[in-house]
Amino acid sequence: MKVSMSSFLISQKPVLKKIVGILSENYKYVSILGTDTKGKLYNVQKTGIDLTDSHWCERGFVVRVHNGVNFSEFSFNEINENSLNNIVDEIHLNMTNTLESLKNASITVNAYDLIEETLIKEQFLGEVTTLPSTLTSKEKIEKMCFIKDSALSYSDLLVDFRVAYHEVHVSKIFISNNKELEQSYIWSEGYLVSIVRRDDNTKYAHASFSGLKAVELLDEMKNGIEKIVDTSIKLLDAKSVIPGEYDVICSPEISGLIAHEAFGHGVEMDMFVKKRAKALEYIGKSVASELVTMHDGAAAARNMSSYLFDDEGVLGTDTIVIEKGILKTGISDILSALKLETKPTGNGKRESFERKAYARMTNTFFTAGNDTLEDMIASIKYGYILDGTMSGMEDPKNWGIQCMILQGSEIKDGKLTGEIVSPVIMTGYVPDVLKSISMLSETVELSGSGACGKGYKEFVKVSDGGPYIKAKVRLG
Amino acid sequence: MIERLKKLIAKSVKSDSLEMNRIKTASYKNVSFKNDSFKIDAFKIIENRITASELFFVKKGLDMYRTKNVHNFNITVYKNFEEESVSYTGSSSAIIHPTMSDEEILQVIEEVSFAASFIKNKYYPLLEPSHKNQPQLISNFSEKPLNEWLSTLTSAVYNSDTCDSGGINSSELFLNKVFTRIVSSTGIDVSYTTYKGELEFITNWKEDTEEIELYKHIDFSEMDYALIDEKVKAMLIISKEKAIASPTPALGKYNILLNGTPVIELLNYYVTQASAKTVYNGMSLAKLGENIQGEDVMGDLITLTLDPFMKNSTKSSPYDSNGFPVDSVKIFNGGVLNMYHGDLRHCHYLNVEPTGNISNFVIEGGNYSIADFKMEPYLEIIAFSDFQMDTLTGDFAGEIRLGWFFDGTNTIPVTGGSISGNIKKLQKQMYLSKELQKDNNFIGPKIVKLLNVNVTGIE
Repeated sequence: MKVSMSSFLISQKPVLKKIVGILSENYKYVSILGTDTKGKLYNVQKTGIDLTDSHWCERGFVVRVHNGVNFSEFSFNEINENSLNNIVDEIHLNMTNTLESLKNASITVNAYDLIEETLIKEQFLGEVTTLPSTLTSKEKIEKMCFIKDSALSYSDLLVDFRVAYHEVHVSKIFISNNKELEQSYIWSEGYLVSIVRRDDNTKYAHASFSGLKAVELLDEMKNGIEKIVDTSIKLLDAKSVIPGEYDVICSPEISGLIAHEAFGHGVEMDMFVKKRAKALEYIGKSVASELVTMHDGAAAARNMSSYLFDDEGVLGTDTIVIEKGILKTGISDILSALKLETKPTGNGKRESFERKAYARMTNTFFTAGNDTLEDMIASIKYGYILDGTMSGMEDPKNWGIQCMILQGSEIKDGKLTGEIVSPVIMTGYVPDVLKSISMLSETVELSGSGACGKGYKEFVKVSDGGPYIKAKVRLG
Repeated sequence: MIERLKKLIAKSVKSDSLEMNRIKTASYKNVSFKNDSFKIDAFKIIENRITASELFFVKKGLDMYRTKNVHNFNITVYKNFEEESVSYTGSSSAIIHPTMSDEEILQVIEEVSFAASFIKNKYYPLLEPSHKNQPQLISNFSEKPLNEWLSTLTSAVYNSDTCDSGGINSSELFLNKVFTRIVSSTGIDVSYTTYKGELEFITNWKEDTEEIELYKHIDFSEMDYALIDEKVKAMLIISKEKAIASPTPALGKYNILLNGTPVIELLNYYVTQASAKTVYNGMSLAKLGENIQGEDVMGDLITLTLDPFMKNSTKSSPYDSNGFPVDSVKIFNGGVLNMYHGDLRHCHYLNVEPTGNISNFVIEGGNYSIADFKMEPYLEIIAFSDFQMDTLTGDFAGEIRLGWFFDGTNTIPVTGGSISGNIKKLQKQMYLSKELQKDNNFIGPKIVKLLNVNVTGIE
């Protein structure tokens, strides 16, 4: 079913065009991004139910102008015909005065060229199998309670079983003198969290579900109950990993985490501008095994970060970041591209209209190989299959990687032993990890639950993934 | 806008637009929506107006200037109902944008009202107004408009960026003025203004090896030039150390000293364990009158106070998000859980006095000085890639970006590798330094010493 565009944004188009027109009298570049994102977050657990608006909900605008030297922005969420002067004054008087006072305080201002735009007018409306409005909130909660109750009846060790479902309808509009873009799409994500306790030993496991979907996700989640409860119970007997270097097989989820943390953040080209990325020195050089090809792009896959245009009005693309082990290029917002004299790749994303745009990942993944998972397991003398993302952190300058992983399933003499270790921290030097990749399975899986931060803030939706990969990593 | 919302709530509960029984009568104070299966018992509105100035620097050059002026409202609707002789308080909340039409707002109210009618949360009473006079939060940022602080803040950030071998790579400065008003149908109507400053900066340093970088984020609610300058200076010093750091040796189980921010993450475990919500949900087994660290503790004992009025904290607030007037409360005393903390709902469930939600915490120092800790071999860690503390399981871990390894004779800076452990297993031999640190919403030991922690080295 087609997703419908925000009628609010459509109704504001004439006002937005008027603002662009007025500001264009004084500024050589003016654009406005308008957002209207609606969504609900449902949480069900043993002791209660929560239903709130999604934290991704927003409705507002951000104006960007070229102030003669570089770009300035103003975010606001109150607009009508009568308040246009206030918006124009904020940019034309207040911001200009502040910039002047900063210059007077001997603060230098970095210069940027003008953004050049070609004429473009396009619209994108996403599709889902079942629209969120097909079920009432009560029916969704009932489905979630059924999942929770089914899980709680499965084992006496459960102290809680949490079910979360999150549906978000994104609408955006981008207006400048040369561009008129609209897009609307829906994504959803869900979590099952199984919490078990024996004596005072408490462990939990989680499974996540996501996609450009709506309530159909609830049916997918129903099928994940037993696996996640079994995993959490196993964790009660998990041992700590003996620190050291191991042959491992990373699940598609962990492959995605590596792609994301190892090279995704490292090729965000605002990092190139700041000279914070070691990758800049390695363009055209080998950074990974010849088996490794990695993509990023809103148009590279149909997943959580697939869109027509980014938050700077640039159309999404499919970027081959690594091709057969060679680092080809980075991913870019429009201002970094101006500085670096490269072409923007449609990766300029904002947490919301209230925040600045940065170069950010979209759908990031390793492509498939030719191996089977069975052959990969059989090839390992002693090691682990790693699965369950907990968190990750990038180090683009020095190419360190930190991945917190829920569990490692032991492999001995080519066979799974049933023993597990948990939690596992995987660390290493990015090229060492990527060059050690020796086998890749045949099917790529992407997932996009949670959010990706830049450092510790600026959270955006992304997806990542890959096939199963075999590599050599350091575990602790 | 709040008056408009109140009128629309009243209009909504009187209308018959939903296909179910409707609320018959309404008044704002003591909302007497009664006798139907679909009624509203109360509502709460939170208003936030945020104005902000933001500066983005690459090296010392201003790369972008941004401002913000946004106005947001959040409405929560409550409904009491009974099913099979069990009493419930259902609630649901939603965001109201200032550009919403009356029709849109009515639709939102109807949706949250509908949701509140089937959300089966155990009954709890709603907060009534208090006559307590809460102190106002005072910040020197109130002395002039936000944009007039920008040059002073910039000067503080770059004052010590004068070294040849390293400096600030880039920085981002955010200064927010946040007006909050909380209004409820029970008669609560409180408001206050807070300031939230944020500084994120990256430092580089280059010695004979490749250039390194470190990341720092600080929060503040007052203009304290010396504090920002000190933080930058400290980062430059440790950046230099990282530039000459050796790979962390594979130490196996070792005594570690956590220094600075990781200490806060680690000790936050005790705040979470004493939360009424965590206890009610069965995620904490902490019991009043018992020592959270167990019997026969050889290390220091936790004494923890929540202080809603901590100076220069972005988390300070005279009221929590329900409009509850908060005050300082001692949660742990010598390791013993003195009281749970939390909102009225969860404290009611546990049958304890509510404290309101408070986000500043103070932990008393221990019996030993940092110099005492450093008499024996140790691995001291001051910067992780991302120190992770799981407050449910007690597991913690992080990749080392900078530490100092003392083998009993020499001290060298080290980098790489990781540590991991579980606080439940280590807390009997946990030592808190006498020396304290202050970091936004935390005052407590500067260093925590833990024994026998797993250290994965790379050499």
